[in-house]
Amino acid sequence: MDNPAKIQRIEQFQNMRVPLNMQAALVESNRCLLCYDAPCSAACPAGTDPAKFIRQIKFHNYKGAARTIRNNNILGGTCAHICPVEQLCEKECSIKALEDPINIAGLQQFAVDYGITNSLESTTPSKKTKGKIAIIGGGPAGLACASSLLNKDFSATIFEREDKAGGVPIYNIPEFRLPEQVITNDINNLLNQGVEFMFNSPIEDKESISKLLSQGFDSVFISTGLSVPITLDLLQGYDNAYDYNSFLRQHKFGQKRGILQGKIIAVIGGGSVAIDSAVTAKACGAKKVYLITLEQLHELPAEKEEIELAHMMGIIIKSGSQIIKVKESGNHISSLSGVEVEPIESRQTNPSNTVIIDGTQFSINVDLVIQAIGTKPGSEISEFDNNLQTDENGIIQVADNYQTNIPFIFAAGDVVNGGKTVVQAIGEGKKAATSIINFLSKRTTI
Amino acid sequence: MKKQTNLSIDFCGVKFENPFCLSSSPVSNNAEMCARAFEAGWGGIVYKTLALESKFKIVMPSPRLNTYNYAGKRMVGLQNVEQITDRPIKDNIKDLTWLKKSYPNKILISSIMGYEDNDWVELAKMSEDAGADMLELNFSCPQMAHPAAGHRVGQDFQAVEAFTAVVKKASNLPVIAKMTPNITDMVPVSLSAKRGGADAISAINTIKAISGIDIENYSPMPNIHGSSAATGFSGPAVKPIALRFISDLYNSKSLGLPLSGIGGIETWVDALHFILLGSTNLQVTTAVLRYGYRIVEDMIEGLTDFMIARNISNLDELVGLASRKLTDPSNFNTRYQVVSIIDESKCIGCGQCYLSCHDGANQAIIFDSVLRKASVDEQRCVGCMLCSIVCPVINCITKKEVDTQITKHAAIF
Repeated sequence: MDNPAKIQRIEQFQNMRVPLNMQAALVESNRCLLCYDAPCSAACPAGTDPAKFIRQIKFHNYKGAARTIRNNNILGGTCAHICPVEQLCEKECSIKALEDPINIAGLQQFAVDYGITNSLESTTPSKKTKGKIAIIGGGPAGLACASSLLNKDFSATIFEREDKAGGVPIYNIPEFRLPEQVITNDINNLLNQGVEFMFNSPIEDKESISKLLSQGFDSVFISTGLSVPITLDLLQGYDNAYDYNSFLRQHKFGQKRGILQGKIIAVIGGGSVAIDSAVTAKACGAKKVYLITLEQLHELPAEKEEIELAHMMGIIIKSGSQIIKVKESGNHISSLSGVEVEPIESRQTNPSNTVIIDGTQFSINVDLVIQAIGTKPGSEISEFDNNLQTDENGIIQVADNYQTNIPFIFAAGDVVNGGKTVVQAIGEGKKAATSIINFLSKRTTI
Repeated sequence: MKKQTNLSIDFCGVKFENPFCLSSSPVSNNAEMCARAFEAGWGGIVYKTLALESKFKIVMPSPRLNTYNYAGKRMVGLQNVEQITDRPIKDNIKDLTWLKKSYPNKILISSIMGYEDNDWVELAKMSEDAGADMLELNFSCPQMAHPAAGHRVGQDFQAVEAFTAVVKKASNLPVIAKMTPNITDMVPVSLSAKRGGADAISAINTIKAISGIDIENYSPMPNIHGSSAATGFSGPAVKPIALRFISDLYNSKSLGLPLSGIGGIETWVDALHFILLGSTNLQVTTAVLRYGYRIVEDMIEGLTDFMIARNISNLDELVGLASRKLTDPSNFNTRYQVVSIIDESKCIGCGQCYLSCHDGANQAIIFDSVLRKASVDEQRCVGCMLCSIVCPVINCITKKEVDTQITKHAAIF
């Protein structure tokens, strides 16, 4: 797709990737070398097994491919859209030694869509004859854990404080990267397995967990993610300083087109979320969007594809820059002042590792500032149980099997790994489910 | 010093500026099309087969083509139910006359098909009068609706000899007999054509085949209003079979006729294969159906460059060079044995050689899953070279000869 067409789709908040049709999928799958002991599959944190579904597409077993993805990864459709494949499966693709890697994400999306449009049979409902597990947090880790548990005939109840399941993907990833329908389709598979959702159900007081036990739950899985965006003290209290979460969620479900017409936006941060925020602002009609990153351009944590997207959308990247002062009128920021910095030691980006470059002061008039510089666990974690072991940032400490210091409580996903990818959270959720099952089976035999 | 290179050939005493001809098919259907082909550079054209509509009215079935795709690639082969020309004979004769007048240096070959002696005579004379340089006798169309024509004639040795003789008597033009591959051995029937006076053989016409089935409704393709037929199949997929027939004809000591090679030619390399196995002249249709007349440019340029690089001044020097190396498998020297060698620095670790050898050969490849490198167990290697065929890296897997007097080779028990 050429750039103008892609920009147009983004501005209409339509999926910016055009799916592969069958011919294109066949041609692409036929480029695959069908490696022995394929490195792409080994590189998938969620165990989606791309080598197998690509082989299935090549041999015209399209439904089989859809089945493989769904069985291995309950958020297979979601991952096809948002997975950082260039860091994972496609990075390991053997054919890279000769030519471009296989478009694994595109093939995954093709297979998932094929299953949907060709009435792939529903997922098997859980018999729910085994234990009962409470899952706190309906993001990727929680959903994946639930699916694996249901698969083994356990029951799974997800307590979600929001009114929709999906977590980060549903609230924070813009429509042009991940249409809501894609997550809905994935979650429908989980609903068919028999998951129970308790929406608008925050678990945040000390008695909650003991209450769950008294309600007959055998084990608790915490996958509350990192729900609190980090913000700068410098921008505290201004009415036009947003965090990425409030900004992205407002523009995912609220008004979109033209709402930022004529505005100048500054996004602070250099990761995927920052770029999603910047592109969203641009798509909402912003006149100018700055991306202010502490990292140097070549060290941005965002994916290459995302950085290209930012360039394509005309976003001005002020890399290696730090905001040091705010000009205000009342509680409104009218401009940001910053300086260029360089790292003292390369590849370690935090404000304490930088030195200011003399004579690089700049000032940007802004209508809106969006902060996307990271996220941390919510305060509810410490409230769960006084004895639950966390680090000073509230990251839950677990053993290799995702068991916390309280034996019947398991935890995984961002709240444990400190914030990684959706596919990582899915993989951890799956592994935690296995640990929970092992734990419960040992307990009953004793 | 480099010799002067040109692609001109002498085929049955007729001089072609290059050996590349359109074969008798929709690509040579009328004067306007043929003129464009000549302009594009084709050396000759075998005009779409003429017949007398007073004897048999041709109506083309529809749809008339089906593609054979492989691994996402279109038209690896093509099946057709096309018949000979459906245009009135007088229009076609007018076109032939105009073409020869407009392109006197290009070679015009009239393909004809009769149903009885008189038809052949009449068509041969009309063609000669129109200015055709040669005649091609269509003994080989595999889907003629007429019960006594096309490849049914080509399978009947006596009919081939008799019709050829009739034409030779009626016309002074050189005669090419076009043969069907839908026969076990093409040599005996070609000898019949020779006895009838044929000056050359062209082969192959299309192979009777079924290119696919619509699995929704269990209909073989092409689906002609609910029915289908095994009909002529052409394109790259048939080339290896065509090459075999050409070499059979070339290597036949008693035949000794010049050959026009047909069957899946798309590139100058394909053309060269046919030449090396004994073709002097070449004919193309399916590649033109797909890519247009322009492809002849690349055939001419490519073949010329090859000849310059090899210091070959005349195409004749290449004709049949490879055919002479064909022998009966019973004559192979089995003391010559090879084993595979893998260049580890080139190996990209896909493991395809391992999989193929493990499940399809002699379990002679060792795959290191940690380093992702393949190596050969020379004690087990039978030298089939399957590994080098599946390997995606050029020259990563090669072969080396094993001294079977000293070393035990897995293929020799």
